[in-house]
Amino acid sequence: MTSDESVIEQWLHSCVRCSNCKYVFREYFPSCPAGEHFGFETYYASGRIWLAQALYKGDLEWEPSLLDPIFACTTCGNCEIQCLAPHSEHIVDMIEELRARAVQEIGGLPSHIRFRENVVQCHNPYGAEHHNRNLVETHSLPLQAETVYFVGCTSNYREIQIRDATISVLKKAGVDFTVVDEYCCGSPLIRTGQLAPVNEAAQHNVDAIRDAGAKRVVTSCSGCYRTLSRDYPKLGIDLGVEVMHITQLLKELIDKGAIVPRPTEHRPTITWHDPCHLGRHMGIYDEPRTVISKLPVDLVEMETTRENAWCCGAGGGAKAAYNDWSVETSRERIEQALRTGAEFIVTACPFCSRNLRDGCSEDGPPVIDLTELVDRFI
Amino acid sequence: MVSLKEKFERIVGADHVSDGAAERYVYSRDMTENPPREPQLVVMPSTAEEVQKIVRLANEERVPLVPFATGQSVGGLTIPQVDDAVIVDLKRMNKILNVDEEGMYMVIEPGVTFGHVRKYLDESHPDLRYTYAISSPFTSVIANALLQGLCDLSTRYGSMAEFINGLEAVLPTGEIVRVGSGILGDDNWFGRYPLPDLVGLFTGWQGMTGIVTKMALQLWPKKPFTRHFALFTFGEFMTTDLLKQIVRADLAEDAGALSFSVVKALIGMPAPIEAIEGEPDYGTFLTLSGITSLELDEKVRVLKRIVDRSKAEEPKNLLIPFEAVARLMSEEAYGWVDFPSDSFKQLTEYDGLTWMGTYIHPKNWGEALFKGRKIVEKYGYELMAFLKPMKGMHFCEFKFIIRFKRDDENLKRVHQCNNELLDLALDLKAIPYKTPVWSAKKLHERADPNFIELVRRIRDLLDPNGIMNPGRWGL
Ligand SMILES: Cc1cc2nc3c(=O)[nH]c(=O)nc-3n(C[C@H](O)[C@H](O)[C@H](O)COP(=O)(O)OP(=O)(O)OC[C@H]3O[C@@H](n4cnc5c(N)ncnc54)[C@H](O)[C@@H]3O)c2cc1C
Ligand code: SF4
Ligand code: SF4
Repeated sequence: MTSDESVIEQWLHSCVRCSNCKYVFREYFPSCPAGEHFGFETYYASGRIWLAQALYKGDLEWEPSLLDPIFACTTCGNCEIQCLAPHSEHIVDMIEELRARAVQEIGGLPSHIRFRENVVQCHNPYGAEHHNRNLVETHSLPLQAETVYFVGCTSNYREIQIRDATISVLKKAGVDFTVVDEYCCGSPLIRTGQLAPVNEAAQHNVDAIRDAGAKRVVTSCSGCYRTLSRDYPKLGIDLGVEVMHITQLLKELIDKGAIVPRPTEHRPTITWHDPCHLGRHMGIYDEPRTVISKLPVDLVEMETTRENAWCCGAGGGAKAAYNDWSVETSRERIEQALRTGAEFIVTACPFCSRNLRDGCSEDGPPVIDLTELVDRFI
Repeated sequence: MVSLKEKFERIVGADHVSDGAAERYVYSRDMTENPPREPQLVVMPSTAEEVQKIVRLANEERVPLVPFATGQSVGGLTIPQVDDAVIVDLKRMNKILNVDEEGMYMVIEPGVTFGHVRKYLDESHPDLRYTYAISSPFTSVIANALLQGLCDLSTRYGSMAEFINGLEAVLPTGEIVRVGSGILGDDNWFGRYPLPDLVGLFTGWQGMTGIVTKMALQLWPKKPFTRHFALFTFGEFMTTDLLKQIVRADLAEDAGALSFSVVKALIGMPAPIEAIEGEPDYGTFLTLSGITSLELDEKVRVLKRIVDRSKAEEPKNLLIPFEAVARLMSEEAYGWVDFPSDSFKQLTEYDGLTWMGTYIHPKNWGEALFKGRKIVEKYGYELMAFLKPMKGMHFCEFKFIIRFKRDDENLKRVHQCNNELLDLALDLKAIPYKTPVWSAKKLHERADPNFIELVRRIRDLLDPNGIMNPGRWGL
């Protein structure tokens, strides 16, 4: 990242290419969506690590054919869970550093460059007209509040039902909140090695959140949550406030009685998809399950779950650059969900929602956000 | 003109062929010190018919082929030995085709790994077991059998090649052949005899005689009563003598002995691990089993008696039930004996791993360990010997494992160390296994020249165009 310390250098002599990262330890389900699809050794974590090391040491010259093995990875972090070697928890960091070097040396992938330009021009990767602040008027929100709801670009410009359900739940729960003139948090840029515009956008967000007098920020998006809480400090950016994911806040609101789910006649069966950025990257597995346990629904887990959960396929710039593979990966998850017999797939990341829906054919259960589910029962 | 890449793409599809710099780099080397060499292409077939077309094309174009399963032979065996080779990565051929409960065998493809066999059997045939290595769970079962490796039933039954009932292979000239009783049909892979035993045309050949596309391997009934013990012993000669007594008495299904440093690594001691004066030299994990609890109890009683007797010479020898080990270390310890692959973690410290391993006459086992230890100590590497009595004590295995950082200095030093270990092994008439080329060449110097000539003639007969893994085994 911005620090001079190279995580590739730090782990220059790790990774024996033992293949353990290819499958879930002791369960033997596939773990790596990239390796599973592309098949070559280079598309597993070990291949990327050896490439990173070779490029770092100068044993390999930069050239465009390296781009696919470097970028066809959802940065889901499943390899980190399965790897038993000392560097295990740094694999995604190594891949991201490798990507940053690739961008510097040979430029990134065209689809990634496009969304970087969008972020610079429109403050969101979709190139949508920047209208975040309108929400204040539409929902009669205060200019200052204790909690800032950081909507995130995908909820604001694509999966707007998540944004609307979140605002509805926060209002019903009586939370003192507002939204600010947020810019893209930078997650899509950091994940794809395009670090240059990140600091400016991040600084803008710091100022906007400070101006709102907030004590905490809550995000809908698991990617924003990871970025604000893990990446900003690494970039030397101090938000100065607590960062929460909506699943954590929902649990808090239920615990203190601010949200009281109503009983219903029909208890739907649901299954829960752990977003990689929420689960493996941030260790949040229990809060959403606790929230679900308080709702009039029955949870049936899929065969890979929590730290071993199969990725939805969207992350790390994969959806933008490799949509077919990304959707194929989500289709795998849908198959797992179908085997549970669940009526809904529930998750808590707009990006996962979007891709899981793209992977659903007619037979697939509807995909909804946890806030939408909660909103139905309060 | 159609390029070679396009020709391969027509066989396996464009998504399964690469000549990218990344693939050429990663497939050019492995975790060992053996020197890298880039292939020109990597192809990934999914059926025997595709393999056949690949081999035919290679003959037409005179292109060398190198079979690749997972590249973890720890002998550099998938590193091309000539320029412009094509790696045939077999991981897409990953089906368990059949498990025959009555004949107790499975028929599998080359991409099937130990982990997958284990899971499949546990779920679908819980009364049967295969045998497992200490490698990562994700190494190829077929490649291991072809390389005559050793697993956790080898103490009783010998090397993994003994487990082969038959196989299907694409010959270097492109014909698909079967050997073993499967020549009479798909549901008939019960064994190799009474026939000319042509399984030997493929085992120990490191992919020089064809590409095996299917193999039938023996399974074994799980014994209803099993107990595990840890035996801590001192000195190479005393340890091997004691193991010989235990195995000759037919007490142990498995006896895998490790330098005490490996035991310390298993309990989480950080690298580098040094041997401490006064601590045991070896820890052996013993598996005893029986059809009845009475049989098992009796074996345990005899085992204890043998160990007690050994105390006359070395009073500190210690036999403890595995439950005590698990209490001392962690519940994880049960995983090591249940599925040894789970214990390979201690070998993942660095990017380099190598060993000099051999099968050896029992009479030379102790001496090999004693002198080998001195060599490893001289080079300053951790003492990580692994030894196993094989096939009811008809022969033995030993290797010195070295985990190392793959920097220039270590690559050189590790090679020198392995070289010295090999010289010692050959002096003691041990046969090195999974031999890198340099090691095979040293073996040739000492071996009966008529044997080497016979090997060469068979290879030339099967592979007139010299396309299968040329240069391998020093040929
Ligand atoms: C940490 C560690 C511990 C290990 N412990 C053990 C152990 O306890 N016991 C043991 O026996 N081994 C052990 N091994 C080695 C390993 O398990 C075996 O060598 C392995 O099973 C071979 O499979 P592979 O996938 O690595 O084969 P590869 O390395 O891919 O191939 C090995 C050789 O076989 C050839 N080959 C592969 N597939 C075919 C085919 N279908 N047809 C023809 N030729 C083919 C290749 O060309 C090459 O020459 C260990 C390895 C590691 C890394
Ligand atoms: S990343 Fe970890 S699990 Fe994967 S090959 Fe390397 S050491 Fe093994
Ligand atoms: S982060 Fe996910 S997709 Fe990328 S190498 Fe690891 S397991 Fe594979």
